[in-house]
Amino acid sequence: MKKDYFLKAFGGAALLVVMTALSVGPALAAEPYHLGVNLAITGTGALYCKDGVDAIKLAVEEINGQGGFMGKHPIELFVRDTHTKPDVGVREAKDLILRDKVRAILGTYSSAVAVAIKPVAQEYKVLHIAAISNSENITKVKFSPYTYSVVPNSYMQAKAVALGVAELAKKKGWKEYVTIASDYEWGRSTQNNFVQLLQQAAPDLKLKKEFWPRLGETQFTSYITAIMAQKPDFVYGSVASKDNVAWMKQAKAYGFFEKIPYPGSLVSVSELIIQAKTITRGLVGLCRAPFFAHMDVPMMANFVENFRTKYGRYPSDWAVMEYDAVYALKQGIEKAGSIDTEKVKDAMKGMTIDTTRGKLYFREIDNQLSCSSYLGVVADDPKYPFPIYHDLVEVKGPDSWRPEAEITAARAKD
Amino acid sequence: MDTSLLLSQFLSGLSRGMVLFLIASGLSLIFGVMNILNFAHASLWLVGAYFCYSFWVLLQGYGFGMWVSIGLAALTLAAIGWVIEVVLIRRVYDRELPEQLLLTYAMVLIIGDLIKLTWGVEDRIIARPPLVEGPVFFFGIPFDSYFIFVILVGFAVAIGLWWFLQKTKYGHIVRAAVFSREMVSALGIPIPRIYTGVFVLGIFIAGLAGGVQAPVGSITLGMDMAIVVQAFCVVVIGGFGSLLGTLVGSIIVGEIYAFSILFWPQGALVLIFVVTAVVLIIRPWGLFGTPMRA
Repeated sequence: MKKDYFLKAFGGAALLVVMTALSVGPALAAEPYHLGVNLAITGTGALYCKDGVDAIKLAVEEINGQGGFMGKHPIELFVRDTHTKPDVGVREAKDLILRDKVRAILGTYSSAVAVAIKPVAQEYKVLHIAAISNSENITKVKFSPYTYSVVPNSYMQAKAVALGVAELAKKKGWKEYVTIASDYEWGRSTQNNFVQLLQQAAPDLKLKKEFWPRLGETQFTSYITAIMAQKPDFVYGSVASKDNVAWMKQAKAYGFFEKIPYPGSLVSVSELIIQAKTITRGLVGLCRAPFFAHMDVPMMANFVENFRTKYGRYPSDWAVMEYDAVYALKQGIEKAGSIDTEKVKDAMKGMTIDTTRGKLYFREIDNQLSCSSYLGVVADDPKYPFPIYHDLVEVKGPDSWRPEAEITAARAKD
Repeated sequence: MDTSLLLSQFLSGLSRGMVLFLIASGLSLIFGVMNILNFAHASLWLVGAYFCYSFWVLLQGYGFGMWVSIGLAALTLAAIGWVIEVVLIRRVYDRELPEQLLLTYAMVLIIGDLIKLTWGVEDRIIARPPLVEGPVFFFGIPFDSYFIFVILVGFAVAIGLWWFLQKTKYGHIVRAAVFSREMVSALGIPIPRIYTGVFVLGIFIAGLAGGVQAPVGSITLGMDMAIVVQAFCVVVIGGFGSLLGTLVGSIIVGEIYAFSILFWPQGALVLIFVVTAVVLIIRPWGLFGTPMRA
């Protein structure tokens, strides 16, 4: 009996060892990390997203070269095309979670998709890192602890324009300005916000006149000549997207931007590269993550070099931010000491991370990265085959993000 | 306020007026001759703009692509106009105005949906060739070079229509038909064919106007409804059926708009309607219209 018992106990122990070796062992050594990418590879968003996907691939290659996350979890990428359509974006995100069993989703191009997949990611306990879409509502209201943002959000960008303009005004001696905004809710509120923020930042600047073309205006010539007649030091515009094309095209045809600074329109590195020949020099642009602002950060210098070696071109804002998103995830996993999503999301809360844009941190209240917004004057540079920003103004995240009290107040209405 | 400033504002008003004239002239011609109030005129104008875009996409490799596209858009619309006249408009000549309006308004909705099906909801943009991309200067005043072309087309259409109506045999028949269909018919001239011809000509001009509009800004859904009301103001002020009236009305509306933006930006659109209302009260037949029309 004793012998039998001994044998059974020994056999059981041996079986346990084998089972451990078979199941837990390989898991510790090489359980792959399924990483989902939800971006617009076709459609109007493709221009920005292609760079984003390429940067993610580069980051994954680098990390897998060291064995994967924590040196032992090789990353498997699952890239889904949203066709720049919000409904497709949401469908693909669900598919990534349910079929591909991803632990995190990087994206997204459209803020509508970001807002829509936020509750889905939360429900299935999947991390969600926004790196291109930047509506403030992604992190401000209906907060999800699984959603992080590594892109300066719409509020930060708007405030950065006001602060940046105030600083440029000081530098250049600007005194008076004029606004032109589409006559409806968004146009009026954007103009109003800007005027108020600028009033606080630079009380001496005088708003000389306001122009309110109706929504759907197709011909702005009379506005253009009337604004030029005012001879303002600069013009602030918030013209609705489809009208904006007409406005910019016609204003350009009047030589408007060569005469009058027009700060605040989004001129990302993509535009600088693609419109290298045609873009108006002297335009005051706003962007989200220009690599040339941080060439002194070793991580950025490395990234630019590797990106250029692999793809033969310079990385855009969108590439920079998606690359940072992958490395934010890497550092979160390392801090958590596990790829378990619950642990990673808790580890990332308030975490300080190394990014290509320097040391930044996630704010606890909304998981928003303390990243900067950038303003500058478009000008040629001998170092690059395209114009970059001169007189660069970097508005830091903590100087531009919405005060926590306002976020708490907004969430009270959720 | 210096004169160069006023001249600059005048030129921008003139260019706006010419865009309106290109739409309103076809509208006025069709109403003047056929007594059909074509509410869908601006919708066809928009279709012209979309066609111009499609042709331009095909031809953009060529330097002349955009210019040819404008012409092709006008010809395409002429063909569409012919189909619409034969299939639909012909059937409502003898109906009351409300019934005609119902038909043409239905066309607005149908055309709007067809545009959505064909070209989608995204905005379409034609990149202008370098020749008309930048400003030209008159006495140091900048002016959008493309609008020089718009103004030239506007005057060309005005002169062309005037020459056609006043100097050609067909023009004489068309004018005669305005006054007495029976008499023209009695002379053995087929009235339906004249009407078809006039409608096709009107829609041809709408297509041309759409093509000319396409490179101005972006081409978007709903552009037609935004402009059709102003086109109606133009014909009301100038007088329905009067070519000269339409030209003068267009310039008046364009200049009111331009100068009110300079002096009173909030009231630009209001002023146009105030002037239209005043004309309706004092001279219901418009500045150059004829008071008594059958």
